[in-house]
Amino acid sequence: MKDKILGFTCAYAPVPIIEAAGFQAFRVLPQGECPDQAGQLLHDNLCPHVKRVLDRALDNDLPEVSAMVFVNSCDSMRRVADAWQVARPKDQVMVLDLPSTNTPSSIDFLATEYDRMARTLFTWNNQAFSREKVRARIKVWNDLSHTLGRLETKMGEAFYPGLAAAVQIVVNTAATDSVDAALAMAKAAVAKAWAPARGHAPVFLFGNLLFDPKVFDLFENWNMHVTRLDFCTGSRFVSTVDLSLADDPFVALARSYMTGPPCARTMDITRPGNLAQEIVERAGASNARAVMGFTLKFCDPYLARIPGIRQALQDAGIPFLMLEGDCTMGDIGQQQTRIEAFTEMLGV
Amino acid sequence: MMYDYFSSIVTGITAKLEQDPQGIHARKRYALAVATLGRRLYSGDARIAWCGVTAPFDLLNSMGVTSCFVEFVGAMLASTETAELFMQGAEDAGYAADSCAYHRAVTGAMLKSAMPVPDFIIGTSSPCTAGLAVMENMAKQYNRDLFVVNVPQSESPDAVRFLARQIEEMAGFVGDHTGQALSRNRLGEALELTNEATVLIKEIYGLAKQKPSPVDSRFLNNFGVVITLFMGTREGVDICRGFRDELRHRVATNAMDASQERIRLMWVQNRIQFPFPLESMLAEYGAKIVVDELNDVTWEPMDPDNPFESIARRILSIPFSRNADARVTHLQTLAREYQIDGAINPCHWGCRQGTGLRGIISNGLKEIGVPVLNLEIDCVDSRNLAEGQIHTRFEAFTEMIQG
Repeated sequence: MKDKILGFTCAYAPVPIIEAAGFQAFRVLPQGECPDQAGQLLHDNLCPHVKRVLDRALDNDLPEVSAMVFVNSCDSMRRVADAWQVARPKDQVMVLDLPSTNTPSSIDFLATEYDRMARTLFTWNNQAFSREKVRARIKVWNDLSHTLGRLETKMGEAFYPGLAAAVQIVVNTAATDSVDAALAMAKAAVAKAWAPARGHAPVFLFGNLLFDPKVFDLFENWNMHVTRLDFCTGSRFVSTVDLSLADDPFVALARSYMTGPPCARTMDITRPGNLAQEIVERAGASNARAVMGFTLKFCDPYLARIPGIRQALQDAGIPFLMLEGDCTMGDIGQQQTRIEAFTEMLGV
Repeated sequence: MMYDYFSSIVTGITAKLEQDPQGIHARKRYALAVATLGRRLYSGDARIAWCGVTAPFDLLNSMGVTSCFVEFVGAMLASTETAELFMQGAEDAGYAADSCAYHRAVTGAMLKSAMPVPDFIIGTSSPCTAGLAVMENMAKQYNRDLFVVNVPQSESPDAVRFLARQIEEMAGFVGDHTGQALSRNRLGEALELTNEATVLIKEIYGLAKQKPSPVDSRFLNNFGVVITLFMGTREGVDICRGFRDELRHRVATNAMDASQERIRLMWVQNRIQFPFPLESMLAEYGAKIVVDELNDVTWEPMDPDNPFESIARRILSIPFSRNADARVTHLQTLAREYQIDGAINPCHWGCRQGTGLRGIISNGLKEIGVPVLNLEIDCVDSRNLAEGQIHTRFEAFTEMIQG
């Protein structure tokens, strides 16, 4: 019998818990051709991510999703959680409260939220609650994370045409289909003899959502060597959970998620604005010579931090190109001239 | 500049009040308190904290900190028609022009050194993540320590415990920065004053519910949000008593003009902050605002013996901390209690948490027979204001209600 499908929308949703409860996890990505209707319930000035996700719900452009987990990660996510319940009142919905800071009290609270989520999902699926099952699924995801990590290291070492898209396909498979299938693909990609090429400018990419593998092929056509995919739909989605941090897997999840590479909405209050410096450091670690940011229009958490990021990169002497859009291929296509000028300026 | 501005307001209002020392003049006394707070913030000799909207100001007042939410500055700049300069400055520095104008104005003021440098900063995740980003940027810009109060969306026991723990930690953070630890006695006294003020506030809102209502569209403009700054102080109690007394006086002297409220309206979330003839426009159609969404007491009295949990429960009860269901239920309750005929939702451009509920709020109020006018307006940035269009929409809306 096929597992029931449970949808989610944010990288902070702990997929190992969803799988441990016997659901197939399905990330509702903002894609597809469904009509633009979300503005009726939300507002047109919300980010294209949540609007497109709601469009899919309103248009029933989804697999057989019977339940959803939303994360209270930003204002727009809060609102799409509200709107989803209007659009699809029969779905079981839970909203996970995600603190904005990584303080000990925040991590403790998040652990209780993950515990609550696990108990709820096991109950929804008529399964006996089991921490061991959660631990087992975390280990599978850690395996994927380590394997992807090897591919990401390779991305930074040299330009291998097609590797960035291959990494994204693995991540998308884990997000929307099966982590086991994704792991097999990742291992095959590690084993593959990739042929390096020259003449492309190494660029570190960061932002919120950019998940269409064809986009990265386009970037390569425009002389870019993508050294890292630091997106909510990229490397940040498949992060390692250090199970040695705590006996309780929920505490380990909470600590790992809150102290790993952050989305702009999560902050370290002891180092305000540290996202900018982290991007500088991660870009350097990936051997990039430049940084390109991509954020969705109306994404407050990122847009409010971009001037600080720009300043930090300028201070570090790292060229920076910032793009804002709706993450569709058409939108990216319009950026061709800017991206080509940027890579040409890097003079590789 | 700002210190002089606030000083001149203080001087002007004080002179007017001296002409009629026996008069109630609730709004004038309230404006005087606000201007005095503004002057203190800009005086350079107060210990100040920039905060998020839902920070526990009574606790901060009990610790001798002059504190204020940053959106207050955005609103004040808009009301004095100086916001444009600062918003433009923020946009020139790379801040998105389609972000919330309260925050853009504050950011511009910070970049142009028109904000007092705080001693420390206390962000709150409610009402919005956008505001929290501003607080982080401010901490970076001023190189000041930051504390963040994460406000969960649920009122579960875990959520209450988490928030109460943070508030206690916040008190420790403040004590570390002021050199004076929290005094439980002083906090207890402050919470008693909060309770005293809250009783008066409930009476104010009770009077406002009467039909015809003794309030005019402007009387309680911004009241529910701004009065929080004075919680835990005798001044706060006095302000509330002034408003209560003025409404009592209006009722006793039958000073309500029923012809001016053929249509009773509710205003959703924030008012328009720049000079805008809202009241007169509404009055043209016999309409007036009798209630604002943010003018309500949603919490139980503070328990001085259990202060952190009390404060946590209060913060969690605020409608914009909560989900759509809770917020719509609250609006429906207000609509019934105030017997309103319609509601206006200004859909402040750039406010994701507020405008994101536009459709759900409309549907929720429609369910109980209350029509909603969704205005597309920026409550702080007047640069794209289409006054004629708003006029036309008011006209159509009031005609529809009366028709």
